[in-house]
Amino acid sequence: MAVAPMDTIAPAPQPSRHASPAGGNRRAKINGHLLRLPFYLLALTMIAPFYWLLITVFKPPRELARTPPSFVPQSPTVANFYDTEWTPKGINPGHLAGIFQRYQVDLGFWRFMLNSLVITTAITVGSLLICSLAAYVISKHDIKGRRTIFLLIIASMMVPWQTTLIPNYVIMRNLGWLDSYAAYIVPALAKAFVLFFLVQFLQSLPNELIQAARVDGAGEWRIWWKIVLPLLRPALAAMSIFIVLAEWNNFLWPLIIVQSDEMANIPVALARLNSYYVGPDHQGAIMAGGLLASVPTITFFVIFQKYFTRGIALSGLKG
Amino acid sequence: MASPIPLRSRLRRYGTSYAMLLPFLALFAGFLIWPLANSLYLSFTKFDGINPAAFTGLENFQQLASDARFRHALGNTALYVVASVVLGTLLSLGLALAFNGTGWLHRIMRTVFFLPSVTSSIALMLMWKWVLYPSDVGLANTIVGWFGGKAVAWLATPGLTIPILVVMSVWGGMGYGMVLYVAGLGSIPEEYYEAAKIDGASTWHRFRHITLPLLRPVTTYVVVTGLIGAFQVFEAVYIVFSTGANTIGGVLDSGLMIVPYLYDQGFTHFRLGYASAIAWVLFLIIFVLSLVNLRVGRAMKEL
Repeated sequence: MAVAPMDTIAPAPQPSRHASPAGGNRRAKINGHLLRLPFYLLALTMIAPFYWLLITVFKPPRELARTPPSFVPQSPTVANFYDTEWTPKGINPGHLAGIFQRYQVDLGFWRFMLNSLVITTAITVGSLLICSLAAYVISKHDIKGRRTIFLLIIASMMVPWQTTLIPNYVIMRNLGWLDSYAAYIVPALAKAFVLFFLVQFLQSLPNELIQAARVDGAGEWRIWWKIVLPLLRPALAAMSIFIVLAEWNNFLWPLIIVQSDEMANIPVALARLNSYYVGPDHQGAIMAGGLLASVPTITFFVIFQKYFTRGIALSGLKG
Repeated sequence: MASPIPLRSRLRRYGTSYAMLLPFLALFAGFLIWPLANSLYLSFTKFDGINPAAFTGLENFQQLASDARFRHALGNTALYVVASVVLGTLLSLGLALAFNGTGWLHRIMRTVFFLPSVTSSIALMLMWKWVLYPSDVGLANTIVGWFGGKAVAWLATPGLTIPILVVMSVWGGMGYGMVLYVAGLGSIPEEYYEAAKIDGASTWHRFRHITLPLLRPVTTYVVVTGLIGAFQVFEAVYIVFSTGANTIGGVLDSGLMIVPYLYDQGFTHFRLGYASAIAWVLFLIIFVLSLVNLRVGRAMKEL
């Protein structure tokens, strides 16, 4: 799970701040490292649990229950991911099989990865389209009531989403949407924060491009698709990372709307796996699931790193 | 107010605008405004999710006021929120000051601390549970063993629940705060430091009178979003400390907090009206915090 160094969040080079007069340079450097010593130790505590997860994944069950534990897998195995000797007929909670075959659903573990992938993609793409449309109108159209609407949307950002949890659950039940993708996706599409961020971004862009397009006779939908969306690209990229992380990790809402194993997303599937099997010899498979669950978000982050850190910085400094 | 433009041409002129707003507004109204109003109504009712909601006035709120478990949950939440936000903010700032350079070492260190922010949060919770395994096979107890200590039942000792939740929260969140602070540090003009140096200001004075005041907007943001996030903690309690539906708050409710209690009342006991009242208490707390955030933000701009 290597993540590329975060060079993009570095401020502009500031050679003068820490540099000392020639000669004292080496000493200042050593002093600096000494001052940072507690943070280096803290970094060790950051790494240690990850290392623990990583080695656990490759240990066979017998080694997982051993005391004292080994810090390098003595007989590394990939059985925690995929056990060729496992057969559905011989299910035995005491014996651990690979996580792909562990579940009594088609596709095994892939099913949950697929669920999470479908849900996250649909919400990200859908909410960005819907929010960018609304943001375009609010920032560039002179319609009645837009201030009121915008104010209402900003005010709604103060509402913790758990407040709407129970009525939304009742709505899903009444619509017959429990245990479906719709229950994951539809309520998650209108995101006030995303709209707010996009409006702020659009307001800082000149109106001339849009005016020019209108003069040329382009319709509003066409302007949105051909001009606004491309202009918004950096903002959309920043927002998409926030949405992907939040939706990939979403837990409480799925916990409530999901009933069958088939419809679980990754967090719910892992929580269930964790509550079924609790011995140390099961940790290999549980950690293997956790590792796989992290691969998409880490990959996404590595690809969009630049936008990610910029997005964090923007949201923090403007907010 | 009569508009000079006739309705038809107004519709032609603005119809597209409203059509473009419609998807957002419809979803916004349907899954946020209406549920919000509905949850307020439900908080004044007795509702089990099956029979129609029966209006009971302020009964839920009166009951909440005398509910020992709820008060315990509020106390736990307050303790957790204050400890995790104070520690998290201080460490975020410290990390940003220590590693805001462009060198490879600084970049690697920033990445190390940021790693939890991009790792699946459920994986982190399960990882912690495994690290804190009660017997000697767990990492924490192995380390305790090196120093001659006996295995600790980390997750079954009530006094350790909140400290562990705080450590998990700070551990997972300080990298994010660090990134915000690094961005804030980068936006402070270098000239300020140069001028202060010429005037003979010490490192501490420069930090105290330039860095800290100019970082105040970032600090406000880190603290307030941290507070809001911490009030909503659920997953850590549910995954790490709950072994079954009946022990939602961990051993002896030692980790019971607002949202876990809301879930417990709403979805294990099906007291949806009562849970709605809890949801509104949460709403009021976060609403006040957000107002404070706005106020402070406005005050900053006027300065």
